[in-house]
Amino acid sequence: MKAVCWMGKSKVETLTVADPKLLNPHDAIIKITKTAICGSDLHLYDGFIPTMESGDILGHEFMGVVEEVGKEVTNLRRGDRVVIPFTIACGNCLFCKKKIWAACDNSNPNAHLMEAAYGYSGSGLFGYSHMMGGYAGGQAQYARVPFANVGPLKIESDLPDEKVLFLSDIFPTGYMAAENAQIQSGDTVAVWGCGPVGQFAIASAFMLGAARVIAIDRLPERLEMARSLGAITVDYSEEDVSVLTALKDLTGGIGPDACIDAVGLEAHSAQLQGTYDKVKVALMMETDRPSVLRQAIQAVRKGGTLSVPGVYGGLLDKVPFGAAFGKGITMKMGQTNMHNYMKPLLERIEKGQIDPSYIISHRITLEQAPEMYKVWRDKKENVTKIVIDPWANAAA
Amino acid sequence: MSSALKEKPYAEEVPNNSPASVILNGRYLPPPEDKEGRLWVRTSALIQASADDLYAMWRNVEAAPGWQEQITHVTVTGERTSHWVMQAGEKTIEWDSEILADEPGRRIAWRSIGGDSDNAGEVIFEEAPGGRGIVVTVLQAFHMGKLASAWETFTGRNPKQAVIENLRHFKALAETGEIPRTQGQPHEDRGFIGKIKASTYGEKVPTPSGSN
Ligand SMILES: [Zn+2]
Ligand SMILES: [Zn+2]
Repeated sequence: MKAVCWMGKSKVETLTVADPKLLNPHDAIIKITKTAICGSDLHLYDGFIPTMESGDILGHEFMGVVEEVGKEVTNLRRGDRVVIPFTIACGNCLFCKKKIWAACDNSNPNAHLMEAAYGYSGSGLFGYSHMMGGYAGGQAQYARVPFANVGPLKIESDLPDEKVLFLSDIFPTGYMAAENAQIQSGDTVAVWGCGPVGQFAIASAFMLGAARVIAIDRLPERLEMARSLGAITVDYSEEDVSVLTALKDLTGGIGPDACIDAVGLEAHSAQLQGTYDKVKVALMMETDRPSVLRQAIQAVRKGGTLSVPGVYGGLLDKVPFGAAFGKGITMKMGQTNMHNYMKPLLERIEKGQIDPSYIISHRITLEQAPEMYKVWRDKKENVTKIVIDPWANAAA
Repeated sequence: MSSALKEKPYAEEVPNNSPASVILNGRYLPPPEDKEGRLWVRTSALIQASADDLYAMWRNVEAAPGWQEQITHVTVTGERTSHWVMQAGEKTIEWDSEILADEPGRRIAWRSIGGDSDNAGEVIFEEAPGGRGIVVTVLQAFHMGKLASAWETFTGRNPKQAVIENLRHFKALAETGEIPRTQGQPHEDRGFIGKIKASTYGEKVPTPSGSN
């Protein structure tokens, strides 16, 4: 089959590799009909995530049709249309039973690698480094899905792929970010980052009762999209704009009730702080660039909530913890517990409450993927979301 | 014994039992330290299953190749004895093992009795507080003669890590009926460095089959 492979930092190639096979009794093989490139894939592209290996198949946002099932898979059969959650969960450990699916004990074959780096292991993920399980990803024509009894969401209606594909990660991730923001009706919510996760966080914040959402970014196409959802936008790249001042001005001086950092470890910052972090990252004294996190802690109102869906990979420097303590804020974060949100969000799509395909800017073939990684990383061509049809002809 | 605290509506009795236990007379007991050529490893896992089922799974030594790394064959040779064969690549080591204590649903202790491995161990099955499952604790010792170091060089895993990984496999098998694996999935050729890394990550150690 054809697959998008990580071949080193800033090096991605579409290559022909072996087809996946069933390896365990609860596996399924999925013929992929649509897959996407995620903002978090850019962290891999940029070499921010350790234990990627040359030859790994990328991709964790995919859907398709069941091709084959293992002998213990009882709920799926060949021909079923399914969306696959990017986190892999067994369904039977203490954490799965508590519905903290992203903390599953039994889905990471390389748990010892993650324990060595972090002191714990979370669930396995598709296409996201060996530490996170080393599972082959979904930017390919086929994928093997472990614990297929637990994860895949069956699509029984005839909704097109593009409306349901983002149930694989970014819509649930944006929704959980808004849920973690503990929004009360009438709240003002600030969202840093208007990429795909930020977009769904904005939409979900409104769905959960926010009176006002303030969206912060620097890319005009993303800010335009945020305004189309009803958010007020702040462009931090404009010379006379200070985000902290803007958030005070927009909240009568108290700050937003909740702040959502939908940017994560590669935050761009126009200020000196950004340079400071760049130097420290280069010197390996710090692994992440937390400029948004710092700002969000400073901005949130006293007693407010900070929600962090953005991916952080390791150590942070100069986080204003004194302000966090002094204001008595609540911080909620973590990898998305996908399995809690897929069905309820599918229902919202079915009822026509939201059409997640509005964020798609590019539709490409597998052969075009390597070039698009570069285009997106360099923030060219107004990319908001790239969807791949793995069976489309390169010439088309 | 009298207690200053009268109100403990959900408190449970503190266990006080065998050598692998982590609590002794109400105190936390740290694991034994490595010394005089003896390597100790203590590891535990919280498992959603009954103590009786977990005991039975552990006691069924002939099924051990299904969840213990690089064990290829176990033959029961007597009521309390068995013969173990371990293989890595072309090389094989063998030893006999004897069960010293056997308490259904609670505890098994064993030691090797001759052959290429000098090890002894105990596994205990205890109720976690609050009905959260069964805590399985393994305490194992390896005598670090030429045999144990041969084990490490030829298995590619330090024997301590192997005990930890085997308990992880045991838990996955008990909770889900399978052991998570990625060996055998597609990828592009890893190149020279990638192959070395796969070895150091322990990804070259074959994942046990998960079946009996
Ligand atoms: Zn994603
Ligand atoms: Zn689980």
